[in-house]
Amino acid sequence: MNRDELQEKIITILEDDFEFSHPGLTDNLRDDHGFDSIDAIELLAKIETMLGFQLARAEKEKAMSIRTINDILDYIEAIQAAHPS
Amino acid sequence: MKRRVVITACSAITPIGYKPSDIIDSLLQGRSGVKPLRDDGLLTQHIHSRVFGTVDYPMDYGFTRKDTKTMGPVAFYACQVAKDVLAASGLDQEFITSGRLGVSFSSTHGSPTVQRNIYKTFFSKLPSEFSSIGAVDYLKSMVHTTTVNITRMFGITGRVIASSTACTTSSQSIGFGYEMVKYGMQDAMICGGADEYDTTTVAVFDNLLACSVAYNDRPECTPRPFDTKRDGLVVGEGAGAVLLEEYESAKRRGATILGEVIGFGCNNNGGDLILPNLDGITTTLRLALKDADIRPEDVDFVSAHATATKMGDVIEAQAIDAVYGGKPLVTGLKSYMGHTMGSCGAIEMILTLYMMEQGFIAPTLNLETVDERCSMLNHVRKITKAETQIAAIQNFAFGGVNTCLLIANGRNAGV
Repeated sequence: MNRDELQEKIITILEDDFEFSHPGLTDNLRDDHGFDSIDAIELLAKIETMLGFQLARAEKEKAMSIRTINDILDYIEAIQAAHPS
Repeated sequence: MKRRVVITACSAITPIGYKPSDIIDSLLQGRSGVKPLRDDGLLTQHIHSRVFGTVDYPMDYGFTRKDTKTMGPVAFYACQVAKDVLAASGLDQEFITSGRLGVSFSSTHGSPTVQRNIYKTFFSKLPSEFSSIGAVDYLKSMVHTTTVNITRMFGITGRVIASSTACTTSSQSIGFGYEMVKYGMQDAMICGGADEYDTTTVAVFDNLLACSVAYNDRPECTPRPFDTKRDGLVVGEGAGAVLLEEYESAKRRGATILGEVIGFGCNNNGGDLILPNLDGITTTLRLALKDADIRPEDVDFVSAHATATKMGDVIEAQAIDAVYGGKPLVTGLKSYMGHTMGSCGAIEMILTLYMMEQGFIAPTLNLETVDERCSMLNHVRKITKAETQIAAIQNFAFGGVNTCLLIANGRNAGV
């Protein structure tokens, strides 16, 4: 999946499942959309489903520094690079 | 410190209605909320009892995703009745978040629906199931999920009590909330209980031969408390909440006083976890009278636990007779909706408040021929005009837990 495809999928998830309204790539997820730690864990489960494999504990912990949609996309690209198959 | 504790708001979601006018109408019309058991694709086919006290009308919750992401079905019920009592109370946001308002509320299991979904994943071999245990499934299914979803939704920062004692869950919740306010630990408490549609509970009682099975083709004819043809309880769902407040502050702010909690008795049988116990129940009723400092003859109405089991009703009738004699009117309100488990004490208190306010007592539904072992009581057999001043709400649970709540008519609270 290239970045544009990822972006489209993630924004769809945020709008449909997390009720985001007009999400911007640099919006602060918590301050602008009320995205909290519970949401972060839920989003990770959806990313696992999207990628088709389970994330390692260390990979999941890295997600806790995510603040924006761009951060989410960077995170997924890094995960994909680490799982080339 | 001992303070008076008044009820300033209440709300119930029941198999016979949600709006007070609907519930009152159901009581006046003798309308049952017992319906055929829905097929859950898992347990239903193995269960002999095919009836359930069902909430089958649509609910318009209006909760946002921010609210609901930690809520299973039981928390929807709980938060709705809590929302209703806070709205009706007129309490301001500053008080609600002050730490002086607490929550004493719970359910029997948490959310069985969510628990069932968790267990499904263990039996699935599909790779796609690996992440299907949601991050919030624990928050949705833990036993105090109702309690803390209420605190979360309304920003309540006071004490939290989550008494999960099966059929006495909400009566204990109200009793413990009453004690919190009476002894000055909190100035107000949201109290009650909820339980969602759940066939697991039916299966458990079915295995114990405690469920009604003879009226599967006529659900409205069961349960039949105190009747010779009773054949067991009917599991139901619902929720009930009351707002308890310290009397002086409620009066000062001009709150509507629906009633007053004047006594609470609670004990344990100290032995068998299932069988009803005459000594234990009788002691509980007397503990409540002592707490209220009133005489047995002061009680006008008894809302009996009356699940319609063979022995439970007889033991309860003996206890009522031993403590009160044949004077107070007695009704088994489960006859209208089945046994709503963790919510039954709260719902039965709220229905009693409605009847007190309306000046009538509803009869025990389906009571056609009184079991002679229960015949010493003053059973209500038809709609009866009554100016009830003091009522007892009795509930008993698996585990040998017994409760009795005594409430006084709100009209008397000003004197």
